Amino acid sequence: MPGSYKCARCKHKVEIDVNVRCPYCGHRILFKERGAGIKDLKAR
Amino acid sequence: MIPVRCFTCGKIISLAWEEYRERVEGGEDAGTVLTDLGLHRYCCRRMLLTHKELVKDLNPYQ
Amino acid sequence: MDIVFSRLGDNEARFVLEGVSDGFANSFRRAMMSEVPTLAIEDVRIYDNTSVLFDEILASRLGLIPIRTDLSTYRLPSRCECGGAGCPRCYTVYTLSVEGPCMVYSGDLVPRDPAASPVHDRIPILRLFENQKLVLEARAVLGKGKEHSKWQPTIACGYKHYPVITIDDRCDGCGMCVDECPRGRLANGKGKARVIPERLELCLLCRLCEKACKRGGIGSEPAIRVDEERSRYIFNVEGDGSLPVREIIKEALLHLKESTRSLLESLDEIAGGTSDEESE
Repeated sequence: MPGSYKCARCKHKVEIDVNVRCPYCGHRILFKERGAGIKDLKAR
Repeated sequence: MIPVRCFTCGKIISLAWEEYRERVEGGEDAGTVLTDLGLHRYCCRRMLLTHKELVKDLNPYQ
Repeated sequence: MDIVFSRLGDNEARFVLEGVSDGFANSFRRAMMSEVPTLAIEDVRIYDNTSVLFDEILASRLGLIPIRTDLSTYRLPSRCECGGAGCPRCYTVYTLSVEGPCMVYSGDLVPRDPAASPVHDRIPILRLFENQKLVLEARAVLGKGKEHSKWQPTIACGYKHYPVITIDDRCDGCGMCVDECPRGRLANGKGKARVIPERLELCLLCRLCEKACKRGGIGSEPAIRVDEERSRYIFNVEGDGSLPVREIIKEALLHLKESTRSLLESLDEIAGGTSDEESE
């Protein structure tokens, strides 16, 4: 799944294909969004 | 965030953090506040004394 | 063997143990720290966490929260009838579901068993800002301090030898040792320093008073001497609240008894039941 990202400047949701660049504002810094999965951890 | 326990002895020091910060910001002497809050060992005292709260600064970058 | 308590509260005990060896005193200390089981959060299932802290940091913080433990209700997973598979006798569940902006406290954890609630309600776990959310489920199990310190029932737990302070006739009452003592256990008497009896047990055995005395020009041997009484110990035990200190001490002693008994049994097996006669 092409991960869902969020632009650091305009906060738009972005899908990355080849270019790492926000299609709305051209910003190159993107944050990865948290997946919907459940995470199991050890409390250590 | 303030660590839950003292790294060295394991005492729950995070309980004292909010009151400590308020009182020190209010101009009280950090040493007397720590003694007041029942933190007598120097391992526990340094936990609060040297702590810097960063969660607020980190928030915009999430 | 003799034990005298000078303080025995829920979370703190101070006592003098007399007539035991170094080895026993130390194994007693170690048993209190690492062999008495308590409850602590071990598994965390995170459904949603949009806070500033990583899931792993959050889980580690949850694990360190002390939980009231009733040792008659819970069993170590390794000793449970279910064989560690998980049953109501060996674990309990907490749920946490909060939306920001707010501070999340240990009191926000909703326990399935109200008797196994966190000791303190006001331990800050993390801060949530606008539009942040935290939904999780945590599972607490019994464990021992030797595996992870989150299961340690004690915080500061240690002992020292009983101090013996002798001040001989060469003392001229200069007061150097009185000023030097970090615990204020000395006072000036009539032309001679004296020990304040109720502060004697505070002595750190640091011998600063001896050094101060030498500097006072009394000679190469100080007039005040700090010695340790062998086979007499001052214990200081502090609990984190998960178990009352009295129970920590009891459980540690039961552990020592149980482990020596099992050692005797295996010795009997090897020696074919002659170990009793040999010890005569």
